[in-house]
This record gives sequence, C-alpha cells and structure tokens, in this order.
Amino acid sequence: MITSQESSTNRQQPLANDAIIKVITPGLFSSVQGLGLSGYRHLGIPFGGALDRQALILGNRVLGNPDSTPALELTSGQVELKFTRDAWFVLTGAQYRIAIDGRDIWHSWRNKIKAGEILTLRGPKSAMRAYLAVDGGIQPTQQNTTLQITKQLAKGDCLRLGSALSIAKPIGAVQRGYSNEIRALPGPEMSLFTPQSRKAFWSNAWQLTNDSNRMGARLAGEILSLTKPQELNSHAVMPGVVQVPPSGQPIVLLADAQTTGGYPKMATVIEADLWKVAQTRPGSTVRFIHVSPGQADDANYEWQQYFYRLQRAIDA
Amino acid sequence: MTNTNLTVYRLGENAIVLDCSKLFPEFSKLNIQTRIWELAKQCSKSLEFQDIVPGMNNLTLFLHDTTQVTFWLSVIEKRWHSTTGLNVSGPTIEIPVLYGREYGPDLDAVARRHQLDTTEVIRRHSAPEYTVLFLGFQPGFPYLDGLDSRLTTPRLSTPRLSIPAGSVGIGGSQTGIYPADAPGGWQLIGRTNISLLTPDLPATPTLLAPGYKVRFTPVTSLEFTS
Repeated sequence: MITSQESSTNRQQPLANDAIIKVITPGLFSSVQGLGLSGYRHLGIPFGGALDRQALILGNRVLGNPDSTPALELTSGQVELKFTRDAWFVLTGAQYRIAIDGRDIWHSWRNKIKAGEILTLRGPKSAMRAYLAVDGGIQPTQQNTTLQITKQLAKGDCLRLGSALSIAKPIGAVQRGYSNEIRALPGPEMSLFTPQSRKAFWSNAWQLTNDSNRMGARLAGEILSLTKPQELNSHAVMPGVVQVPPSGQPIVLLADAQTTGGYPKMATVIEADLWKVAQTRPGSTVRFIHVSPGQADDANYEWQQYFYRLQRAIDA
Repeated sequence: MTNTNLTVYRLGENAIVLDCSKLFPEFSKLNIQTRIWELAKQCSKSLEFQDIVPGMNNLTLFLHDTTQVTFWLSVIEKRWHSTTGLNVSGPTIEIPVLYGREYGPDLDAVARRHQLDTTEVIRRHSAPEYTVLFLGFQPGFPYLDGLDSRLTTPRLSTPRLSIPAGSVGIGGSQTGIYPADAPGGWQLIGRTNISLLTPDLPATPTLLAPGYKVRFTPVTSLEFTS
C-alpha cells in the first residue's frame, strides 16, 4: 500500500459552521473521494476512493491535511465553485486551467481563495482526473462514506468543509511524470489463455474505450481467447485486477469495482502504477510491462521516497 | 499432508486465495462454504488482514503488509484442515415479500415456464431456509443457497436497465434480493420493503452477512416508501 499517515477510513472532522462550497457548475462525473474503505468487502462494499490515490495524497500533504482527507475528484468539463469561507486549496493530478474570479492560478500550487470568490476549473488539458483538496477537507455524507457509493456532484450541491488550517504562504509541488507503460503481475488464470493471447497481452498496445468509468477501464485490442471455455466460481477481485470477459477485451478494475467476479484474471496492475490507468484518456493507449513481486515492492518504495522528500521540503 | 484438491495462490501484491471448489462433489457446496466462514472468522482475529472475502467455495485474504504473504501462503492450508464447519451459523432474518403484480412482473412467466400455479411458485420459493453463501455484485447483495430446483429459471435475454431496490428475483439456480436500484437480468417475482442497507450503523452497514439465514414470508400488502 501507498503509505498513509493514518487508517484508510475517511476521517470525520469537526465542522466549522456554514463553511461550504456551493456548486454552481458541477462538471461531468465530479465526486467527493477519500482514500477508500477497507474491512467491509465481505459485505459487497467496494474499496472506493480516489482513482489516483497518489494525486489525492499529494494535495493533502501540500495543505497539511491527513492523507485520507476527502477532496473533489474532477473528470472533465467546466467546474465553478463558490466558497463561503476563506480557504487554501490545491489542484493536483490532471492539468486544469484554474482561475479565481477570472484571475489565473498555477496548477499544483496551494493558493488562497476568499469567502465569496468563485473558483473556475477548466480541463483537463492533459491526463484525465484532477483533485481539488481544501484545507480541513470536504465532507462526504455518511451514507456515501459507509457504503462507498460514488455520488456525482450536482448543480446547487453544498459541500461542507472541515475547520480551516493556519497556512502562511503559497507553495508548489513537483508532480510525477506520466507514461503509458503500466507494470503488472501475471494473474492466476493467465495459463488458461492461448500462447498467442498471452503474447498479445504483454506486447500489444491497448486502447482505452469511452465506456470506461470509476468501476473499470475498458480496453480494446486483439481478442484474447482461452484455450478452452472455462467457468469460474465467483471470487474476490480488487482494483488493479485485469479481467477478461467472454468478449475477449480486458477490463482493468478500478476503485468502484464490485467486490466479487467470475471472469478469468490475466494480470494485476501494481499499486504504484494504477494511477496511470486512471489518468489515461479514452482513445489513448497503454502497454503492460510484466514485473515480479519484488519489482512491485521497489516501485512502492519509490513512491514512499517521493512523499518522504516532499514532506522534508514542505517542513523545511 | 498436502491435499491436491486445495489450491492456494497469490493474487496481486497483497492477496492470497484459497480455492476449495475441487472438494465438490465429495463435499456439498454448503459444507465447504461453512468451513470457509469458520476459517474467515479465525483469520479475522489476526490483525494482519485488511479484508477477508469469501467467494463461492473460495476465500481471499487481503494483507496489510506484503512481507507477510509468503508466511500466510505456507500456513493457510493447515488452518483449513483444522476447520470442522460445526457451530458456524448466523441469525435468521425474515424478509416479507409481496409476490406478483407490479412487484414481481416475471412471476407469471416463471410459473408458466415450470407449469406451476403462481401460488405453487410462491409456496416453493418461501418454503426453504436459505443461507447467505457470500455477498458481492453490489453492497449487501446476498448469494443465497437453497432454491428449489423446480424454480431454476434462466436470466432474461435482455437485462432490465433499472430494477427497484428490494426486488426479489431468480437467476439460474440462485435467488436473491437487490439492495439498491440497479440494472439486472434476473426474473423478478416479488419485492420487499425491508432495507438491506443500514448505513446509519457504520459497524454493520448491511442487513445480511455470510452465514446468515434468510426466510421469505409471503404477505398480501406492504408499505413502500418513495
């Protein structure tokens, strides 16, 4: 797992009276997301949470929030938000054009917005998902937290904010570079596929299709076939698992995926690279790189180093 | 000591899977599943797991710490052999169901298919005590064991785009209840007003859990909110 300062459950924070963000324009598929919830998957409750976990953690670190503090996940379109208290915020992940009352602001820098001002976000210019973190955090409703139900933002919604933090000056963070090379471990049913399909999976480019969503990234390419038809019993699956349904077109499961499934599993994307799948735009391609569990550990260690260096710079 | 009918493997970075499906038909699916719940309960006493998820005659254990994967891969089979499946049963939950009419739009079709009266379909559906084998598909959705084999009905060839929460349906040899509005292909025979989701109780956010028993009680009227 990516290191977290506290448990992965969404933390409830004290509410400042009337501190809200009023949604003037919601954008498409915007939602409030934390780092997800574990311990309830045997009840069919998905892990949930931000699709680009590292971008959410980055935003929270820049503001001094706990890592799992919920933020607004943006997918596309124009978003306009009115703040009723002074707030520090930062946008991480996909590149958006950011303006406060028409004044342009840098991406991945924390900035202050005053009560009554309107924040306008337009994008994404590149990549797919951005995270708007606010000092004190954005409160999801209890039902959405307990059942990890993603509720899309609607015009007129009022998002309650946690207590303001004392922050003195703007700072910025360097975001990591995107590539379309997705490292993955071979899946338990890999040997059930034909040699040609196995080769195609690891060597071909796969195009992300338009019907991808928070449950899964659907890929198009060569049809992957089993050596013989196979019925599997329903079993647990998790974000990162690459399922191959009878269509032969793989699906990379994401945060809101159901907790059990019955399709053969070709591979599992490593945790350190799952954000890249979430940041791939429909129509773009990805490639899978076969790695070992040891290489997956090394990749997680690199993320820990990134956040360690970031924290040192923030604290300096 | 190795039992070739058991398969243990790693899934991704932090999960291990125990697959017991080859023990069937030597043992019944329910008997195998009962031992899986017992093993799940044993493992939940260790604080090393993020999640412990039963599937159909299999169990997946999600570890917090990937360095513990090798250890658990080596011991899980031994732990399985210590299970008996005795004294593992959950409470019985009674679910009132209004069968037929707009609440169960496929009841007539199911009855015709099996050449039974609708009252006989209702009788056979509400007679058994079902067991929640595991949950999946959506929060709180139970996979129930115990459907009368005369009621086995294939799914609709075209799934409905939206099925109301509380709908009771048959899909193949399974019966179940939809906890929330969802698209789905099961044949709908009735509906309950009992909520399968209890988000106001964060510790137990679903009405049912693996090992629970379910009884459907036919009623002639029910109040539905919303």
